[in-house]
Amino acid sequence: MLYLKDVIINRGSKIVFNNWSAKIENSKVTIISGKNGVGKSTLLRAIAGMIPLEKGIVKNFNNEIFKDKIKWGKNLIYIDTKNGLSKDLTVYENLKTWSEMKGWGTSDDDLQRALDSVDMLNHKNLYVSQCSEGLKKRAALSRLYLSFLFDVEFWLLDEPTNELDKKSIILFNKLIQKFLENKGTVLLACHELKLFDFSYELLNLDLLKK
Amino acid sequence: MSLKSSFIQIFISHIKREFLINFRSLVDVISIISFMILIVILFILGIGPFEEKLRLISNAIFWIGLILAIIPSLEKTLQRDYDNGWLDQTITSPTPMELILLSKSLAYWLIVIIPLVISLPLFIVLLKISLKLIPWLLISILVGGLSISLIGIIGSALTLGAKRGNILLPILIIPLIIPILIFGVGISEAVIINESPVGNLFLLIGFTLIYLVISPFISAFLVRIAISR
Repeated sequence: MLYLKDVIINRGSKIVFNNWSAKIENSKVTIISGKNGVGKSTLLRAIAGMIPLEKGIVKNFNNEIFKDKIKWGKNLIYIDTKNGLSKDLTVYENLKTWSEMKGWGTSDDDLQRALDSVDMLNHKNLYVSQCSEGLKKRAALSRLYLSFLFDVEFWLLDEPTNELDKKSIILFNKLIQKFLENKGTVLLACHELKLFDFSYELLNLDLLKK
Repeated sequence: MSLKSSFIQIFISHIKREFLINFRSLVDVISIISFMILIVILFILGIGPFEEKLRLISNAIFWIGLILAIIPSLEKTLQRDYDNGWLDQTITSPTPMELILLSKSLAYWLIVIIPLVISLPLFIVLLKISLKLIPWLLISILVGGLSISLIGIIGSALTLGAKRGNILLPILIIPLIIPILIFGVGISEAVIINESPVGNLFLLIGFTLIYLVISPFISAFLVRIAISR
């Protein structure tokens, strides 16, 4: 259980969450919904550790997650709309450098399978600068597969389905189902709830943030 | 795998990544060198056909050319990875930001210094630098280049997300680089008048070591602020 207690989160000089608490179930998908600007991305970025909390704590069971940032960094995969792909590298090289950055010694086979999981194997030697937005998104989502090989408990995904076509959304659904079987927790900010064929908890910020 | 050895691997893989990115599109590297050649040529043409005058200020021209040529590319070192979201990925990884930024500045140093060393003969011919200076010049641009890239990464982190970063950066950076210019020219001047340049060299090395220690921490602090905005 990811437990946020009395958190105050600022974005610049604007207070986005004021003394706010929430519980996020483990081994489930929680979809964060709400209107634009309500703070979906801010919440994800704060949980990922990018925006420091002004006040309050975030606990994973009984561990405060920001006490041990190295452990927390190993424990999550965060993907947002910026993808984090270097345009001067190929899709394959991007995935390789990313997994090395996470400190994972991945073999060539693992990376190939990861790319195959989002149907990017045919495009693996394509430079990211030549990729369409959808291909970029799939290249970024190929990282998710690597969490089945290493201990990752959390996926924090900010609008992952925006540029995906129907076929890729099916593949994305498969990845999430496999992750749920492995007792993973997914936090997902999204508008389109119809796309998913798995059960999910809904965290509606419009209603909860009063 | 122990944490320490995995950090070393991560460090090396980061340097490899920077090399891959920078040497794939050689634009940045070539622009630094060609910009420096142009600055030097401008000086030479400005001085006119007086070899004595050139001999007096050739060291200063070399260092000023070096500094001016490097500065425009400094902004890109972090800005590119900030824009494409790579820094967001690194901050949500187990690797400390300090380590990543240190590897970035070391990689940047190698990327700038290797082509510069290769093109050094050209500058020696253009500026009529005496041959006994060459080993000292090599050492001083190696050390000086390291401190320029360490200071540069601070400036780059400071101007992350700023609207006029490319104008702001030189204003912030150049005052910090002045000691490198003074010690660097000092080394060459000492050799020319047949005195020992070791004093100046040690000052330059000391200056660089200070930045080697503080630069990763300052720039990591600044990057975290930039990302949290």
